[in-house]
Amino acid sequence: MIAKAKEFITSIPVNKVGMKDLLDFERTPRNMLVAVITVGLLALFVVGLAFFFMHGHHAYNVTKEHPWGLLLAVYIFFVVSSTGLCIIGSLGDVFGFKDYMLISKRAIFGSIVTILAGFAVIAVEIGHPVTMLIYNVLTPGLTSAIWWMGTLYGAYLAFMIVEFIFLLKGDMKKAKIFGLTGLLVGLAAHSNLGSVFGFLNARPIANGVFYPTYFILTAFITGVFIAFIIMGFRYKLEFPEKVKTMLTGLAKMQALLLSILIFFITWKMFTDIYGGMPDRSEVAIHILGSWTFQAEVILAMIIPLVIILKDMGRSPVLMFWASLSGMVGIFFMRYNLVHDSQLKPLQMMKTTEYQLAPSWVHYIPSATEIMISLGGLGLCIAMYYAGTKFFNLDEDH
Amino acid sequence: MARYGMALDYKNCINCKACEVACKEENGVTLGADKHRIWVGVKEIEGEYPFLSISSSTFMPSQCQHCDDAPCQMVCPTNATYFDENRVVRVNTDQCILCSYCMVACPYDARFVDDRTMTVDKCNFCSDTRLAQGKTTTACQNTCPTKVRTFGDLDDPESEISELLRTRDHFSLKAHLGTNPKLFYLT
Repeated sequence: MIAKAKEFITSIPVNKVGMKDLLDFERTPRNMLVAVITVGLLALFVVGLAFFFMHGHHAYNVTKEHPWGLLLAVYIFFVVSSTGLCIIGSLGDVFGFKDYMLISKRAIFGSIVTILAGFAVIAVEIGHPVTMLIYNVLTPGLTSAIWWMGTLYGAYLAFMIVEFIFLLKGDMKKAKIFGLTGLLVGLAAHSNLGSVFGFLNARPIANGVFYPTYFILTAFITGVFIAFIIMGFRYKLEFPEKVKTMLTGLAKMQALLLSILIFFITWKMFTDIYGGMPDRSEVAIHILGSWTFQAEVILAMIIPLVIILKDMGRSPVLMFWASLSGMVGIFFMRYNLVHDSQLKPLQMMKTTEYQLAPSWVHYIPSATEIMISLGGLGLCIAMYYAGTKFFNLDEDH
Repeated sequence: MARYGMALDYKNCINCKACEVACKEENGVTLGADKHRIWVGVKEIEGEYPFLSISSSTFMPSQCQHCDDAPCQMVCPTNATYFDENRVVRVNTDQCILCSYCMVACPYDARFVDDRTMTVDKCNFCSDTRLAQGKTTTACQNTCPTKVRTFGDLDDPESEISELLRTRDHFSLKAHLGTNPKLFYLT
């Protein structure tokens, strides 16, 4: 049994890469810029962690009224990216769309990398991550959406790794089985993440079926954005015809997905505001006036949609830049989700003297939170870069 | 085994804050305005002089409502929040992972982080202190000069609280959320 496992592991095609090979890349201005940014982000991660280990949760600007902050938003950002990449990767190797086979391996590897970055960030957001690992098993809270989300994401990561191994080995049959299972578990995990907010009866702005379904839609959209970004870097924006065909297909799909998203958001806002329901309509009106919401709409929805509709997605280079804008917008989308759910104080009376009656809950991330969040991005890029060295992420012929 | 609850004759509250102090002293709650298991909410007088609405000004003592269907207990991923044998909602600090989900889910804003253990803390009806010593009153009730609070077993028909709830009109906070609080405000 052990010998078989050993044989299985040794037969995984991995390039022999030394430290010298890792640091060896074409010294173009673009590559140098990305390298400097990545090292800078990793340095911020280290500094952020140092502050966290010195001051614990006091290094964060979270409060009693706003206990979830930037790090949770960034965790959601990464796991949404992971689920999205899993969907994109599955188009080829699970659902058999031949045009999308060429991105399968890259997307599945990306999904592993992004969820690992997400786990790295959430590990310092959760107060006691080791206790979590122990009591998640010993005393599972089966009525808790967080329990289901975390457990399913753990299983999802395992399935993604196994799928990736079979993709590397070229065993498409087993890759398909693990890919389909991983996709289903990932979708379940992701909609459970939506239900973490959807189950909040105390927060009418978040409560309901919207988030569990909207999370799947926005994951798909995020996956398409990242697909453009990683393919853009892979081919240095000079796409071969086969890649162009795939990206045009993805762009058309993205136009449909973004249209549905805009439709969903519009109706959510209408239903939130209509009738003036307490604790919901005034929050929705407040959200409409916030610059972060406007950034989300412009960067993640309007700019990419306009660029796709201009020539029905036939300009992958433009779509690459639109996808960068889209990912910044998706970040704001996650931040808004977390912040806006906590905008309205649950207790509207004064509790101390010389205090104004509560109005909106304010939150500005601390420097430590920002450094760890940016560091998560650095981790993600660094792991992906290492992956391109260790594995052949292109389609096998 | 009991089912503890509390009735609050809140219109008698004079906002002396003796209950807040007694709670902190009895249960060793850390200092700081944000670190409180119980508090008195103040609704200020509405209107402009000389048309001030004196009736709009109220003091509303509040705390964990010890809901029978507690959202904080349902959302806890490690079952750190649990109902004890007296249906008091409590936190096992060994199991708390500080994911803060309970703080977001509690409709009453009744939870806070204890900086010493870095776990979530809340009112537990003095279960670790007075009830553990065999007493049948809570610190906040015991100290209240205007006898706002009545603590007791809701399942005992002869308890003072049961009698009060039979004979006085009362309401619960955010009752529409279906949390079934065990704190009752007498009108």
